[in-house]
Amino acid sequence: MLRNDRSDPEPRGSAGSDGCMVIGRVVMSRLLPAALRSPSLTSGLVFGMLSLLSAVARADDTSAPVLPSGPGAAGQSAPAPTSQVAPTSAAPSAPANGATLPAAPTATAPSVDGTHPSGPNPGAGQTKASEATSAAGQFEFGSYGRVRIASDLRGGTGRLANVVAYGTRIDEDSYAELEVRRHDTWTTGDQGIRTRVVATLALFPGFFHFTGRPDQAIGVRNLYAQANAGRFNLWVGSRMYRGDDIYLLNWWPLDNQNTVGGGVGVRLPPGTAEGGAAAGGDTLIAFHVGMQRLDNIFQTQTVQATAPSGFGVVDVFKVDRPRLIESLKITHFLRNSDGRTLFPEGSKMGLKVSLYGEAHQLSAGVQRDPLTEKDRALPSDSGFLIGAQVSLWKGERDTFLNLWVRHARGIAVYDPLSVPQTFANDYTTSGAHETLVAMSGNYEVGPLGLMWAGYLRSVRDASEAELSRDKYDEGTLVLRPNFFLGNHWGVSVEGSYQLRRYALINQEGDGAAQGGLTRFGVMPYFSPAGRGSFKRPQFRLVYALTARDGGARALYAREDVFSQRKVEHFLGMNVEWWFNSSSYP
Amino acid sequence: MNLRLSAVIALGLATAVAQPACVDVPEEGKPVAMKTWVDDWRDEVIYQVLVDRYANGDVNNDFMVRPGALARYQGGDWKGMRDKLDYIKNLGVTTLWISPVVKNVETDADVDAYHGYWAQDLTQVNPHFGDLAELRALVRKAHELGLKVVLDIVTNHMGQAFFYDMNLNGKADIYIGGTGGTSPVTRVSEFDPDWDPRGVQAQTSLGLAGRAPLVFIDDPSINRVPPAPGILGTARAYHGFGRILNYDDRAQTELGDFPGGLKDVATENPEVRATMIDAYTRWVELTDLDGFRIDTVKHVEHEFWQVFAAGVRARLAAQGKTKFLMFGEAFDGNDQLLGSYTKNGELDSVFYFSQHYQVFRDVFQRAKDPQAQRGTRQIEQLWNDRQKNWGDAPMPGGVGVAPRKMPVSFIDNHDVARFLFEAGGDKAALRNALTLLMLEEGLPCIYYGTEQDFSGGNDPANREVLWHTGFDETKETYQHIAKLARIRRASLAIRRGDTKVIWSSDHTQGEEDAGIFAFERAGGDAPQGYALVVLNTNGRKASRTAEAGRAMKTSRPNTTFVDVLDPRRATYATGPDGALSLDLPEQSAKVLVPQDEAP
Repeated sequence: MLRNDRSDPEPRGSAGSDGCMVIGRVVMSRLLPAALRSPSLTSGLVFGMLSLLSAVARADDTSAPVLPSGPGAAGQSAPAPTSQVAPTSAAPSAPANGATLPAAPTATAPSVDGTHPSGPNPGAGQTKASEATSAAGQFEFGSYGRVRIASDLRGGTGRLANVVAYGTRIDEDSYAELEVRRHDTWTTGDQGIRTRVVATLALFPGFFHFTGRPDQAIGVRNLYAQANAGRFNLWVGSRMYRGDDIYLLNWWPLDNQNTVGGGVGVRLPPGTAEGGAAAGGDTLIAFHVGMQRLDNIFQTQTVQATAPSGFGVVDVFKVDRPRLIESLKITHFLRNSDGRTLFPEGSKMGLKVSLYGEAHQLSAGVQRDPLTEKDRALPSDSGFLIGAQVSLWKGERDTFLNLWVRHARGIAVYDPLSVPQTFANDYTTSGAHETLVAMSGNYEVGPLGLMWAGYLRSVRDASEAELSRDKYDEGTLVLRPNFFLGNHWGVSVEGSYQLRRYALINQEGDGAAQGGLTRFGVMPYFSPAGRGSFKRPQFRLVYALTARDGGARALYAREDVFSQRKVEHFLGMNVEWWFNSSSYP
Repeated sequence: MNLRLSAVIALGLATAVAQPACVDVPEEGKPVAMKTWVDDWRDEVIYQVLVDRYANGDVNNDFMVRPGALARYQGGDWKGMRDKLDYIKNLGVTTLWISPVVKNVETDADVDAYHGYWAQDLTQVNPHFGDLAELRALVRKAHELGLKVVLDIVTNHMGQAFFYDMNLNGKADIYIGGTGGTSPVTRVSEFDPDWDPRGVQAQTSLGLAGRAPLVFIDDPSINRVPPAPGILGTARAYHGFGRILNYDDRAQTELGDFPGGLKDVATENPEVRATMIDAYTRWVELTDLDGFRIDTVKHVEHEFWQVFAAGVRARLAAQGKTKFLMFGEAFDGNDQLLGSYTKNGELDSVFYFSQHYQVFRDVFQRAKDPQAQRGTRQIEQLWNDRQKNWGDAPMPGGVGVAPRKMPVSFIDNHDVARFLFEAGGDKAALRNALTLLMLEEGLPCIYYGTEQDFSGGNDPANREVLWHTGFDETKETYQHIAKLARIRRASLAIRRGDTKVIWSSDHTQGEEDAGIFAFERAGGDAPQGYALVVLNTNGRKASRTAEAGRAMKTSRPNTTFVDVLDPRRATYATGPDGALSLDLPEQSAKVLVPQDEAP
């Protein structure tokens, strides 16, 4: 589902200082190509970002146009993607977004004293040499979450059964995010700069009341600060940074960055058409650079060495090779506007087209083989990803259609939160590639709605062997009709099919190994927020029946009941919510 | 825009993009139709390969690899072999003997199952080497190149799958101790206790407590889990008598566990026999293999081999696979014992261990030691013994050659130190031995790395990594083997002819003919052709095919011969009496064929 823009009004600001913009553009244009070639130029990228920061700081835009809304926006409830990451999967990365400018706070409530860690006390009324700067701010809380409990009707718990990387989410596990934000607006004269600090904690199952263990898996997902001034924005920190998802698959098929880094964005105002008519379009450009150094000896390793003096040992870094990722996204919006009718008159329809690219670099290193205690070389590696998205939305009742296409090569095939498991014989991912096409959509009319999603994906690892478990094709198709019963009740019915086929021989020895499953589900629900496929919270009863073929069963160990049972049941209850979240507004 | 139309278009595009590149197993990895690839196994030359040591074609199956530690996995695999079959083909060998393919217990006592002899599941491949499709691809590619593939199998034992719970405490123990009085310090491992004719006994402080239960281990981390298939995962399938102590005791040899805790299978059990036949024949059906090399045959009763061999042959013949070779390994220098497995419908042949000791060790490896070297008369005697000790008729449904005409000869293998190790690096001795090996009657078998002058000592030092040599085909020994293979290929007499020794000697000192050995290859199953092989095995002096004025007599009078081993192709002629007096430098050979038959 398309990411939804906040309902908050966008900041107002002037067009900014042209001079600063030029400086920023020049710096970036010179640094970007080189940086994409070499991770050693990270510092150059950072320098370029700092230059843009300068531009941001001097921007004085107070009358920027309202942000273009994506499908599902237009004042409707937000389609709610989920944010479960799969750190251990070999799924290709989903690159970063940055297309939409982060929203600013709307309230003008006085700030809380002394809580801003790095900026001036908002209420202190600090002054510059020439002008006084006033400040206003507020705290906000937001959340995304889902909690489920289910039985397999055999005395056990309901269990995920997908055989593809991104299967239907009807039986997905619990997950929640708790987010606290601080918003401030800094005004000097008629210039305003808005900032926000976002901290999002993610809670992973199992929860204490289920496991009895008080230790809870908590991840810091967002921890960043952002400044918006006029057309520009700048952020630095740890951030989930992504575009539109496929709700039914809980998947961001184009861009899904989870790095520690920073980014800049600019919104180009509508152009001027002949006769001075507005072109009816906005263009957003967002660049991001970030790093990940997973706690895995592929990227991080410490070894003990004799202490330089005295007795004992000290820890030294043996492997320190973060993955450096740069992403660039350009999104152009088209809607009806004054003087330009692109869609039926009076329609709220809109269209957006996004072009997206990533470059990944991993430097060479030397690893201490834990088996042999001998050093071995790890070669440098690189990759890239390109993709595009086309989205069409009706502007009413969350009706939209999204289409994606993406191609990745090399290390970019692999999710940055995971490390490759198979390699070419030179231990690089050279030759690995992934291609996917995906779609999703929602249509609502009267008491009926229909959500759909699907994708086809081809993954080939770098292995020089023709046979590999990381060479596979997969795909799925999900249809979820919704029947709205009054304003607060409804029934969702879901049917789906998924299949993965490997470049491995099957157990019968007569062809490729492949596993598929068909799932049918019924989900009556209560929706306090009203009628609609994307209204939340939603309180559900869920029953799903999954029929798994022999190939799917063969994917499990013999001792696993999933290797023996043809049919799985999933009966449980489930609640999902989202509100006021920077990730799921 | 019509949303439904968009969806249809998108799906159509997606399908169009994805379909042409749909993932699959390669064609050569798909099911095979079995056929017979061999005319006469004596036309073949076997090349023995430890898969883990030959070539690493895919780093992604390098699980638990410890480069340089030869008791551990090194990373070789079937893809590596397939990629490097040209090296084997160019060497002139024609048959691959590959180490076992079945899933093994991963490791035991800090030694890995890289060799493949610690079977756990006879129905699954060892993933260190690839999967079934890769194995098929290897066999198919070999066949395309004219190579055959023989699989190493083990029926005598499985990997260390259980322990004897001798103290009935339910866990595996290792005791070190004594009484504190006069008894010696002893070490008893419940994994590998000593032979006990009653069966390994349980014992408490109060005395004996009956047969010790066999407790299967379930440790998936090293795949030490109950064996498969079927009965092999139960105590009924094992003898439970403990480790062999005395190899001269027939009962211990056949019923005892193999050293290292490899549990002896109850091969007299009909269900076990059926399981073994089914499990191993299935690999042939799956991959179109051409033969079995069978491990530790002397540790299994004769009746098993009669049933097993007949069962395999019948099942394969019914599917069009005939002349399926089965030869066994009886690690024993007793030629009579070796021959006993080639009779009564048992095996087509056995490893010629008696020759390994009595010829390649006593005569060739000791070429420079006049005190230790044995005269070539020993070779003649051994060969004569074979005519009595080994089966004189082809096995019913077997390869069609009498076992005594087709010993599987070798100079070394993975269970003994390499020739050069024992010979102190004497490469001339090695090449001379190879000359005999390649031109004598039977089916020669060359251990990988011989062509690269590998010189490792006993296991695992004799299991070197071949890819470190860069697959150098210019090595002198490589070229020597290739030349011998060409000679063999060109001469039907050398491949299938009978053998007549025309000169042997007890002399090993300074005598005129010290070290000379000569034999003719002709007749028998080779209606045409003739070859005369003459060797000087003496490592210290030139010798002559004559003694006290008596010259060697050939069966070909008035014939001009060409030495096809000689790059100059020197010629020699016999007189009316067939006499031929040849001078051979130390550790050298001549291979003489009639000039009009010379290739």
